[in-house]
Amino acid sequence: MDERRRRFETMALPHLDAAYSLACWLSRSQTDAEDIVQEAMLRAFRAFDGFRGGDVKPWLLAIVRNCWRNAGADVRRRAQTALLDDGDASLASDEPDPEASAMRTSESRRLDEAIALLPEEFREALLLREMEDMSYREIATITGVPIGTVMSRLARARAMLRETWMARNLA
Amino acid sequence: MNCSEMLRTQAFLDGELDDTAAKQAERHIENCKACRAFSASIADLSDMLRKQIPHHRAPDALRRRVGKLLDEAEEAADPTPFRRRNFWMGALSGSGGTALAAGLALFLILPPSAATLAQSVTDAHVRALMNGKTIQVVSSNHHTVKPWFAGRVALSPPVADFQQQGFVLAGGRIDKVAGTQAAVVVYRHGKHEIDLFVWPAGKGALPGENTTQGYHAMFWRGGDLNFAAVSDTDWTELRKFSGLVRAEPE
Repeated sequence: MDERRRRFETMALPHLDAAYSLACWLSRSQTDAEDIVQEAMLRAFRAFDGFRGGDVKPWLLAIVRNCWRNAGADVRRRAQTALLDDGDASLASDEPDPEASAMRTSESRRLDEAIALLPEEFREALLLREMEDMSYREIATITGVPIGTVMSRLARARAMLRETWMARNLA
Repeated sequence: MNCSEMLRTQAFLDGELDDTAAKQAERHIENCKACRAFSASIADLSDMLRKQIPHHRAPDALRRRVGKLLDEAEEAADPTPFRRRNFWMGALSGSGGTALAAGLALFLILPPSAATLAQSVTDAHVRALMNGKTIQVVSSNHHTVKPWFAGRVALSPPVADFQQQGFVLAGGRIDKVAGTQAAVVVYRHGKHEIDLFVWPAGKGALPGENTTQGYHAMFWRGGDLNFAAVSDTDWTELRKFSGLVRAEPE
């Protein structure tokens, strides 16, 4: 293994989970997400010489996002309709109380649906912030928009999600 | 309900404001009903998202496939692996070369010495003070500081407030200790700042108590983490502080 590969593995591979998670959220399919991540890791490795220091994670997530945007029209269309093909239904299984666990799972599923209803640019801003703890500047870099736009998208995403969530809970 | 300051309030909650702006925002939120309600709803939502939403882990099969892809890419990118190997074989041939290689390997895997650690932690502390960049997330609320670390560093440092004992949580940042990424929880004690460095424990020994360039540092290990509290405050206070941190359940 050469030095470049070793550097890439120590710097980029720790973010494989984050890359996969983002791809899952964008494509809403674990199968498509795997394809996107493979493509993204390969591109990242090839472009690694051009990486000029700083934090690897936003750089890598930007590549994931580009791969997703370049994905075929069929893949992108699937994401409009599909609910996450969720292998993680056992998510709350470590919960001792099965009833509480079931409730939590159904609640997280409804939340998942509410997120799915957000327009893509709002959804990605919110997920990068809340799931990946990216800063405004990092989100701006990843999504290629000014920081002001990130701020207003986040505010809109939060307001919309809250509205949908409340409406669904009342229904 | 609406307020023209809502984006600033949001930025405050997301830990995006510097010290001065954060204080202004905090004052505004105290006096603005709309922003108070807005803050509460953002905090609820964020809490719910972080608790309820699965963070997908990359499947092992994917991890393996990525490894294989990289192998192939590496081979394709390197047209002369044979010649390069020859060069090293040549350079290291003979018993001298083997001894050299063995010595080199030994040197590379040696953990940083206690002296290196002491110097490195003080350097990081001083560098941050001089740049005025000791804090990347400003907050006196450990519910804000702790999750901030989550996506940024591969460990979860204990974050607590010891306000009653005179050590006020001020925020956090990411820094480096002897080349390893560390979470730094920043506290204020009177006019002094205390940096609590937390990083994964390795094999090397820790320095214990130590004074470098006038800064005191206390090192200890807790579980699989190393801790170092660094400050220009006096020893009594620093010992009191580290006692509080060590008594805190993780």
